[in-house]
Amino acid sequence: MLRRGEAVSTLTVVARLRDAGIFVALAATVLLFSVQATNFATVDNWQDIATDVAMVVTVAVGETMVVLTRNIDLSVGSVVGLTAYISSNTLAHHHGVPIPAIALLAVAVGAACGVGNGLLVTVGRIPAIIATLATLSIYRGVLFEVTHGENVLASQLPQGFLDLAAKTPAGLPSLAWMALGVAIVGAVLLRWAPWARDLYVIGSNPDAARLAGVRVGTRVMTAFAVSGALAGLGGFMFAARFASVDAVAGRGFEFDVVTAVVIGGVNVFGGSGSVLGATLGALLVATINNGFTLLRISEFWKIFFEGTAIVVAVTVDALFKQRLQQALRRRRRAEMIAAHRSATT
Amino acid sequence: MNVAARVALRLVARWEALLVALIVGGGVWSWTLSDFFLRWANLLDLATPYVFIGLLALGLTFVVVAGEIDISVASTMAVSAVCCAQVWQAGVHVWLAAVVGLAVATALGLVNGVLVGVLDLPSLAVTLGTLAAFRGLAYVILGGGSVAGLPGGFTKLGGGYVASELPVALLVLIGFAVLLGVLLHATRFGRYVYTIGSNREVARFSGMPVARTRVTIFVLSGFTAGVAAIVYLGFFGSVQADAASGSELIDVVTAVVLGGVDIFGGSGTMLGVLLALVLIAVLRNGMQLANLGGATQDIVIGGLLLGAILAGNVARATRGRRLRRRRAQASWKEVTQPADQARVPVATTIDSEQGG
Amino acid sequence: MRRRRITLLLAVAAAAVLGLTVATGVGTARPSKQAAGYKVFLLPKFIGIPVFTQNNLGAKAAAKELGDSVTYNGPTDASATKQVGFIDNAVRQGYNAIIISADDPNAVAPALKRAKAKGVKVISYDADTAPDARDLYVSPPSAKDIGFFQVEWLGSQIGYKGKIAILSAAPTAANQNTWIKFMKQALKLPKYKGMQLVKIAYGNDNDTKSAQETQALLQAYPDLKGIIAPTTVGVAAAARALQQAGECGKVALTGLGLPSQMRSYIKAGCAKKVGLWDEFKFGYVAMYAAHAVLEGKLSGKAGESFTAGKLGKRTVGPNKTVIFDKPLVFTKATVDKYKF
Repeated sequence: MLRRGEAVSTLTVVARLRDAGIFVALAATVLLFSVQATNFATVDNWQDIATDVAMVVTVAVGETMVVLTRNIDLSVGSVVGLTAYISSNTLAHHHGVPIPAIALLAVAVGAACGVGNGLLVTVGRIPAIIATLATLSIYRGVLFEVTHGENVLASQLPQGFLDLAAKTPAGLPSLAWMALGVAIVGAVLLRWAPWARDLYVIGSNPDAARLAGVRVGTRVMTAFAVSGALAGLGGFMFAARFASVDAVAGRGFEFDVVTAVVIGGVNVFGGSGSVLGATLGALLVATINNGFTLLRISEFWKIFFEGTAIVVAVTVDALFKQRLQQALRRRRRAEMIAAHRSATT
Repeated sequence: MNVAARVALRLVARWEALLVALIVGGGVWSWTLSDFFLRWANLLDLATPYVFIGLLALGLTFVVVAGEIDISVASTMAVSAVCCAQVWQAGVHVWLAAVVGLAVATALGLVNGVLVGVLDLPSLAVTLGTLAAFRGLAYVILGGGSVAGLPGGFTKLGGGYVASELPVALLVLIGFAVLLGVLLHATRFGRYVYTIGSNREVARFSGMPVARTRVTIFVLSGFTAGVAAIVYLGFFGSVQADAASGSELIDVVTAVVLGGVDIFGGSGTMLGVLLALVLIAVLRNGMQLANLGGATQDIVIGGLLLGAILAGNVARATRGRRLRRRRAQASWKEVTQPADQARVPVATTIDSEQGG
Repeated sequence: MRRRRITLLLAVAAAAVLGLTVATGVGTARPSKQAAGYKVFLLPKFIGIPVFTQNNLGAKAAAKELGDSVTYNGPTDASATKQVGFIDNAVRQGYNAIIISADDPNAVAPALKRAKAKGVKVISYDADTAPDARDLYVSPPSAKDIGFFQVEWLGSQIGYKGKIAILSAAPTAANQNTWIKFMKQALKLPKYKGMQLVKIAYGNDNDTKSAQETQALLQAYPDLKGIIAPTTVGVAAAARALQQAGECGKVALTGLGLPSQMRSYIKAGCAKKVGLWDEFKFGYVAMYAAHAVLEGKLSGKAGESFTAGKLGKRTVGPNKTVIFDKPLVFTKATVDKYKF
């Protein structure tokens, strides 16, 4: 177990290293593609990347919180689809509803889904991977029931909503501004909010956390609720971007999110990681995807790449953590021996 | 209560008996939906579309009993099927292509095995990655198209009939269930698997080949995915890179968990998994006869999965008060003395929650 | 203690959800048995888009006139393996005939052959199956016409010169591949040799995917002049993607689209010329064909004919194929005439 001062300083160093690592990788990738692909380094292209990545970043912030507690949320794809449909459908039938209200509706529905997940994991004691694998199917099924197999057509939606994705205030797409806002709030919370700090403790050692008086159940529930809420916001952004929403919307999106989070240095064991890392991870994946497109590399390599990237990132992180634990143990043993020696002389 | 009654009660109270009761109940419900249900031809045939799912579940059982998880099985099956089909299309004899497919599947299982068994990485994260990586591999090999038109002799294995009534696939499933059941319940290897799932430290201190066993279970899972691929090709007569990328995975996991295999490892029977698979097949058949949409069916199966685990948790809670106290003492020791190796997150969390 | 109660409650709730769904399932039971009429199952590539919904309405109208019944159902996305499940189910439920638009001609063949072996008649329409797996095929306008027309519709918009791309549906759809084959043939003609096909993208008849593929095309080929999208989902998604990217008018768009979906884009100039055929009438004719096959009046031999209700006589051509009608063209001037 890590002693407090030791824990903070060592982990901080590791985290900073990891974030720096991705930043370097991102910079290298941007450089590589700028040279190789002719229209990579254009404003248009970067706006495209920004819009694509906005959704992933938004949901990844929530996923980060869940993964920090040594859990995972695989249902985000289904939640995105469900809330996207609810957003579109409500607007299609009630043109007058103000758009922020729709966003709030999506967030609320998403949060409810997240609470469902949280209950299953905390009260039901079901491992998160199984619980969210099941809710992935269940929420998707609910979406199917709600749509009755039909879909909302873009022509049914008010122009103001459709324009939301196309506008670029100050050069950055409005959806990207939203994602940026979410990322900043998330980063600030994780850094300074006391309840957020508990998430790290829970992920590092759940037993110690409980013995130390941390309210594990409540915190984990909060993490899942936030993950669901942000997935709801992601659904709202999905509806704004693609307008036409059908029953298979968002399918597979959870992998984009988990890839971003894992590559971003959030340890699947829990206990370490940051919103900055997840954001950089999302940017890295989106940039490479975009580069692949521009270089006209087959899209099938993209899927293979994402999967391999997860495996590599997990391996690196786990080996890292093992090395760290060994090093700390060695140091503590040395300290104990030194203390024993000085006590007996 | 005399001995006979007590034995009878023990038998009835078993999980497998509950499954049989549910199967009968499901069968009755399906019959109310369609007279066609109760015909021999239908009864024998209703499991055929799920045989490949059953094979995946049988292989996965070893992994789960050992306290791990492998969610890449469906992707492994897809790669295996795609390789087999491509090799056959290139002109190789179909059965030789099938061997190639089996080899590929086993190799992919080995990848998982090395990552989890040797490098000691968390199985859920690793197989999450390999799930995507292998799926990508299938797409890279086959692209967006499909391969179809496999020869009749080959497709008989997955889609053919003996005496025009008994599906060959069903025989394959039962045969493998028996084989793997013997492996799990009646061999030393099986005992290793159970012990590792119950308590890995105990297994290690008892001198069991922990690392080697852990690698082998994933290799086995990969191999059965290869067999499932052959049955899949037989039943559908064709394959695309997105094979089994939908609800099949949840059916596989549900079959294992619903079959009474403890998700945290250490207990479960092959018979239970087989019965659970039959139950899923009966339910899906019934739901289809009721014209319930595929996604709606998934809600039911998902709910079933959750219900099964919850029921298991309740059972364990009522049974394990004494065990909990003992485990609490063990966890306390673990808290004050650091463990020698990184524990699998799933097991650690729940074990300690039980003790806390 | 409290935790255990909650867990038990959750378990009961899960069981209740299961039970409720099961119970409602009993309500939506089997198809109603009609006294004399045939039971036909209409299986589109997937459900949920207006094109196939129109087919259903047409088929139901025909069934009403004939005294038959039609059940319409299918997978939620273009998946041949899911169609297999529906085929097997239809056979089990005792349907007399299956009308199918196949996601993959070969993948559904084994299941269809199983159905035929049990006496069920198989009529394919829109996207054909393997020829030996069906009794009859009802084709939309001739594939050659569809292919050639779309090349002409795009060419006329870009001055017959420049790089073009095709945004198709699923790479396995037979009708798509046949049309693309004829498009490539057309491009070899001297009139179109200034047009260069740089890529065929696949949107899988999924709206999001089609929009993303369009975006990828615009990124990968900045000097792209035009896109042909022979899929109603694809052409609508492409039009919207072009509009969002501000490329309407700079990149031409044509394809097969429903007037109701494409109206606003045609008037905005994003897709100046789009075509299709009357999907309602298509379903109507397919149902009449199925009925004729069930009556034994059609065995698929060339030269046989049947009356498609109010739409008149149709004749069977080679390869057991019936051509349904000629294509319609929608432009700014004509699109308001059509109501579907």
